[in-house]
Amino acid sequence: MEREERELLDRTLARVTAEHSGPGLDAALDALGWSAALATDPATAVALLFEHQGRAGATSGALDDVLADALGVPTGALVLPDLGQWDPPGRAEAGRVDVAGLATCRLQERDTALVPTRGPSGMEVVELKTSELQLRGVDGIDPGLGLTVVTGGAVLGGSTAVDADRWAMSVRRGRMATGHELVGLSAAMLELARSHALDREQFGRPIASFQAVRHRLADTFVAVESARSLLLAGWEDGSEVTAAMAKAVAGRVARTAMRHCQQVLAGIGFTTEHPLHRYVRRALVLDELFGSSRTLTASLGRDVLAGRQLPPALPL
Amino acid sequence: MELVAFRAALDRWLDDEADALAPAAGAGTLDEHMAQLTKVKRLAFDAGFMRYGWPERVGGLGGSPLLRAYLGEALTSRFLVEPGIYSMTETLAPTMIDYAPEELAAEMMPRLLRGDETWCQGFSEPGTGSNLAALACRARRDGDGWRVTGQKVWTSLAQYAQRCVLLTRTGTPESAHRGITALFVDMDSPGIAVRPIESMHGVAEFCEVFFDDVAVPVGRTLGREGEGWAVAMDLLPFERSTALWHKAAYLQRRLQDLLLAAPDSALDPVQVGETVQLLAAFRARSRSTQHRLHAGERLGPETSVDKVLVAEAEQAVYDLAEAGLAPEVVLGGDPDAARWRSEYLFSRAATIYGGTAEIQRNIIARRLLGLGDDRA
Repeated sequence: MEREERELLDRTLARVTAEHSGPGLDAALDALGWSAALATDPATAVALLFEHQGRAGATSGALDDVLADALGVPTGALVLPDLGQWDPPGRAEAGRVDVAGLATCRLQERDTALVPTRGPSGMEVVELKTSELQLRGVDGIDPGLGLTVVTGGAVLGGSTAVDADRWAMSVRRGRMATGHELVGLSAAMLELARSHALDREQFGRPIASFQAVRHRLADTFVAVESARSLLLAGWEDGSEVTAAMAKAVAGRVARTAMRHCQQVLAGIGFTTEHPLHRYVRRALVLDELFGSSRTLTASLGRDVLAGRQLPPALPL
Repeated sequence: MELVAFRAALDRWLDDEADALAPAAGAGTLDEHMAQLTKVKRLAFDAGFMRYGWPERVGGLGGSPLLRAYLGEALTSRFLVEPGIYSMTETLAPTMIDYAPEELAAEMMPRLLRGDETWCQGFSEPGTGSNLAALACRARRDGDGWRVTGQKVWTSLAQYAQRCVLLTRTGTPESAHRGITALFVDMDSPGIAVRPIESMHGVAEFCEVFFDDVAVPVGRTLGREGEGWAVAMDLLPFERSTALWHKAAYLQRRLQDLLLAAPDSALDPVQVGETVQLLAAFRARSRSTQHRLHAGERLGPETSVDKVLVAEAEQAVYDLAEAGLAPEVVLGGDPDAARWRSEYLFSRAATIYGGTAEIQRNIIARRLLGLGDDRA
C-alpha cells in the first residue's frame, strides 16, 4: 500500500472505530472497503484496524474476515477455536460434525456459521445453520465483546475443502490480529494513565512528577513498543513462530499495562465511571484467543528444548 | 554496496579467512581480547569490510550504516570479536565525524577503523554517575590550548587507549549542561594517569583516569566551546543503537550455546520461552532502529527503549545460563565454565552502565511520554 493510501486508511479506521462498535462497525468497514484492503495488503489492513479497534475498545466481526481470507473461503460468521485453543473448532467423523468454539459478535446477526473443521480427509470449512447448534451469549468478564459460545453437533452438509496449511495460516493471522488489538488496548490504557498522572495533583504537584509513577508508565511504554516491533517482524518474516511470539508478548504486555495503569489510576480506575475497566476486561479475553501468553510461551520453550535449537533469528 | 551483496561477500570472506581471523588459543584475558580485536579490525579494514558504512572523507567506502550493523553481527556471533570492546567504534566514531574539525576526523578515523588505535570515552566522574551534567573535570583556556585537571571513572579500555573523547567543565561550576566542552585528548599527554578497576566479573576493563594539568591543543575541541552537552547528546544514541544490534547477535549465539550445553531437564521451558521472546522482541526493535539510521533519520531519546530492552534480554539470557549450568557457573574450573561465570556476572551491570535503567526510564518519561519535569 502506498504511503498516502495507508495514511488515509489509518485516519478512516481511527474514525470508524471511535464512532462504531459491533454490527455497526462491521457495516462501516464494509462501506469503506476494508475487505478489499485485507485481500491486497493484509499486513497493513490488519495492523491498522486491530490496533485502532483495541484503542477504541470497539468490537467487530473483522476477525472472521481475517480467518476467512486466510482459509480462502468467502467470508461470513466464523466459529473460532475454543478459549485458549488453536485447534479447528469443528471435528468431523462418520458424516457428523461436532463443534466447540467461540464466535464474534457477528454471529448474533447471522443464521449460518462457517466452522473450520478437521476430518478424516483433511481440513474443510463446514457451513451450518445456527439453529442446528447450541449458542450461548457470553456475559462473562467482558459483556461488551458480544462473544457467543458455540457447541453441538450436526449432520455434515455443505462444506469446502481447504489445504491443511490454510488452517496454520489462519491461526497465524488470528494471532497477529489479536496481538495488534492487545497493543491497541495497552496503548489506550497507557494514555488514560498518562493523562490522569498529569492532571491529578497530590502534595501540591502532579503525580506525574513522582518517579514511582513515571517509571511505571515508562515500563509500560517500553513494553508496548517491544510488542509492536515483534508484530512488525511477524509480518515481515511471515513465520508461525514469530507470530506466536508476537501474540504471547502482546498478551504479556497487556497484563503489564493493566497492572501499571490500574495502579497509577488508583481509585478512579477501579470504578465503572472510568473507562479503564473495559480495557482490562477486553485484554483478559483477547489474551486467551488462539493461545494465551502463558501457554504460547511454555509451548515455545518446550519446542526449543526438544530440538535444542533457537527459532531462526530475524535478519537485518 | 547493498546489504545483500555485502552480506554474501563478507560471509564468504569470513569463511575463506577463518584461520587467519581465528583467536589464538588462550585464557580469554582482556589483553588477548584486545589483541584479537586489533587483528580482526586490521584484516577487515584491509579487505574493505571495516570501511563500509563510513563516509569517504574519513577513510570509509560509503554505503549504508546497515553494512556496519551486519559486520558487527557477523563478527560477534562468530566469536571473532567481543561485543563490548568492539562497541567503542560504533559509539565514538559517528560523533567524531559530526563534531571533530574535518582534518582531524580525516586523520584519526582510519586509525580507529583499522585497529591501529583504541579510543575511550571520558564521561562519568566519581561525583557524577547518573547526573552527567554536573561533571567537574575542569578545562581552562591557556594561550593556544586547554589545561585539563580532574578525574574520570568507568572509562572503558583507558589503559589501552591512545585517545579519549573527554567531557570537561569550561563554564562556572553551576553552569550545568551549558558549561561543558568536549575535547579529543591524546592519552600519552604528560599528566594523565590510568588505574584499571578490578571488577566483579574478573575483567579490569573499566578504569579511573586522572588528569593533572594536561595540555590539550585548542584544535582538539569537538564542536565549539560550551557545546559539549550537544556532543554528548549526539553520542549517547549511538551508544544505544548499532552496538546493541551487535550485542544481540552475540546473545543469540550464547543462548544457542546454552541450549546445547545444558543437561536434560535443567532448563525451565517457560523461562526458555520468555527469554527467546525477549531476545526476539529486542532484535525486532533494534532492526527498526538500524533501518531508521539507514533512512538517514537522526536518533534521539527513543534509543533509551532499545537500551532498556537489551539489558532485560541480556540479564534473561544469563539468568537462564546460571540456572541451567549452575554446577559450571558455581564450581566449574574449565575455560567454558569461567566464561559463563564471567559473562553472568558482567550481565548484572547491563542495567547500570551506559546510563542506568532508571536514567533510561527518566528519559522515556520526560522526552517520550511528555510527563514534564520530575522535580516539580
